[in-house]
Amino acid sequence: MKSDIVKAILTRFLSSLLTLFLLVSFLFVIIRLSPGDPTDKYISSKLGTELSEKIAESFSLDQPVGDQYLSFISNLIRGDMGISYNYRQPVFKVIWEYFSFTLVFALISFVLQMLLSIALALFTAKKQNKNLDKVLSGFSLLIYSIPAFVLGVGLIYIFSVQLNLFPISGLKSIDYENLSFFFQFLDKFHHLVLPLITLTAAGIALFYKYIKEGIDDVLHQSFIINLRAAGVEENIILKRHVLPNAFRPLISVAGVELGVLLGGVLITEIIFSLPGMGRLTVNSIFSRDYPLVIGCVFTAGAVMIFANFLADLAKLKIDKRLIKGILN
Amino acid sequence: MKFQLQIIHWLIFLWLITLVFKIELIVDYLSLFINYLGLLLNDSSAAISFLKFSLLDVLWSASLFIVLIPVIFIFQKKLGFLKRQLNFSFAFLTVLCFTFLFAPIISNDHPEFSKNLSVTKLLAPFSSVKKLELKKEKKEFTSEAELFRLEMNEIIKPSFNNDVIIADSVRIAPSVTYYQKNEATEILSQQLKTEDGQPLVEEKFFLLGTDEYGRDLFARLVYGTRISLTVGFGAIVISFIIGILLGFIAGYRGGLFDVLLNRFTETFLAFPVIYLVVLILALFGSTIFSVIIVLGISGWMSLFKIVKSEVLSIKQKDFFSTAELVGLNKSQLLLKEILPIIMAPVIVNLVFLFSNVVLAEAALSYLGLGTGNSYPSWGSMISSGQEYITKAWWLIAFPGLGLILTLFSVNSSARMLGKAVNPIIEK
Repeated sequence: MKSDIVKAILTRFLSSLLTLFLLVSFLFVIIRLSPGDPTDKYISSKLGTELSEKIAESFSLDQPVGDQYLSFISNLIRGDMGISYNYRQPVFKVIWEYFSFTLVFALISFVLQMLLSIALALFTAKKQNKNLDKVLSGFSLLIYSIPAFVLGVGLIYIFSVQLNLFPISGLKSIDYENLSFFFQFLDKFHHLVLPLITLTAAGIALFYKYIKEGIDDVLHQSFIINLRAAGVEENIILKRHVLPNAFRPLISVAGVELGVLLGGVLITEIIFSLPGMGRLTVNSIFSRDYPLVIGCVFTAGAVMIFANFLADLAKLKIDKRLIKGILN
Repeated sequence: MKFQLQIIHWLIFLWLITLVFKIELIVDYLSLFINYLGLLLNDSSAAISFLKFSLLDVLWSASLFIVLIPVIFIFQKKLGFLKRQLNFSFAFLTVLCFTFLFAPIISNDHPEFSKNLSVTKLLAPFSSVKKLELKKEKKEFTSEAELFRLEMNEIIKPSFNNDVIIADSVRIAPSVTYYQKNEATEILSQQLKTEDGQPLVEEKFFLLGTDEYGRDLFARLVYGTRISLTVGFGAIVISFIIGILLGFIAGYRGGLFDVLLNRFTETFLAFPVIYLVVLILALFGSTIFSVIIVLGISGWMSLFKIVKSEVLSIKQKDFFSTAELVGLNKSQLLLKEILPIIMAPVIVNLVFLFSNVVLAEAALSYLGLGTGNSYPSWGSMISSGQEYITKAWWLIAFPGLGLILTLFSVNSSARMLGKAVNPIIEK
């Protein structure tokens, strides 16, 4: 049994590596297919052929494509993603600066989504009210249908422009440096309230739907009737028997939803001008900072693959039957 | 039998409303249509030289508008979905499709039209301004082609028109003076278009207000439905073709190809697609076609999974082996034996995909990587409206509301379809 678990984890890990490899290859193909000579993106062709040839040589463009591909991969493995045009720093370093914010931001939002949707689903499951269910399911569909940027801009209009409760954008106030540590934290939190609502709302609606469906599914099964007949308290049935089983549909989509979350982070950071990966990506695209763009996309993909790997591990922990599925 | 409100009733209602309010415009369009046909017979080379998208658009939407109701009644039996009971989602989607088809009839204004910025800039909804028109020099045209050109320019509104003056207010007597933000300008009444000897002063009404360039928000919203729906339909057609073909091959053949494809879909599914789409659009340039293609290519994975699993199960069935033994080739197997069976889950998936694509297009336009500036897109309208958020709420409210309602209607229709197709889900 134990060797099976190790085997399953190893298989899953190898397949993650394969996916990462595919992603890198895909990136390479796209970059090579894109119109325009890479040297043109670096310097103007008007500066003379000699200089551009020199740069082409430094990019290894004179070598066969196969060799270029190999060096692209080996550079990525060593964490060398080139030098950003704008920041004049290694891409890795630039991304590292922005990445931590996005990670914390996305994680807070993810935890909030989980907690709130579970609480909401539990609440409705306890009430057993058909009309409430209907209203909430329609309402969750509506919330889910609001694009992040519409919600964000709407929230800015109501809470920042009209009520003047929260700042319009950014992460820090002007006098941030002069504040004490506690107030610095408070200031950041104050700036993050609207972005968090924007990022979290759609996720709550979606997770609520999955958990609710899971709960309804389990409630109809015979072992629940059995428990009721045995006189187990309704509360205990719900918490100890229904809820763990109800997570199954949620977990099976959690990996994909992480991707949605990361996409949402990109938009949210743009709306509120937050210093994170998403805004870095879009800004680097508009300033034609190609090494940085590629670095950002690669990082996003790598994070997703890693997160999916973790999600699968969590699944294995919860449901041992899945081991067989992976080994096949 | 109790009367039930159906989609078809709502459609006829919309048609009647449009007919009543826009009858003059429709008559104009139709006369243009008839004249064009006449020109095509007499002087076909001139007629073809006039052919451009805006003319085609007007001609086609006007003629379709006239034949719409008869066509519906003739093909009543085939258009079974029109008999469905009306609900909010279906009603809104009908309005959307109606707007998509008849945009030139619903809004006669060019979505990019802007003139006299000082007057028309950032007008609130329901505001109106005065409009004067300069008289054109009457030349005696003899050729039919020239006459047609004149009529066409009169009816189809261009994006820029030097002969129109927009003002806050106009005083006619003793001399014609128009006021633009405290600036009075006198003009000779001979220069103006007249009606019964008086200078013609028209009221220009902006139902939803104007944006920062004085462009009519209603017209932009109406034409914006075209971007959303075109991108949506185009992308799901691409996804449909790729998903069905690859799913069929993977399920039917299996082998190495199947394994590779599986890895590939896993890669795509694990990826925050928007990063990839943004990268590709940035490298290859973003036009409406590249947006459609990229969104189409990035959306086929869920479809592939469905088709593959369905094909795998159908492959075991007796009727399928019979069809194989009879000697049907692969395309016949796919089109005649498999497609009809898997259509139901595929359609539900396509509708969900549609809402994803519409959302993605709007998000890309919001980021400035959308369909370019040739057409207004809801996403880019919101993005430019955000700069004026303190002054003009309507710039974000209306496109935002349009997007929310569209996505909500599509999502809830997909949910309803899913329930209808697969009643087991609903216990």
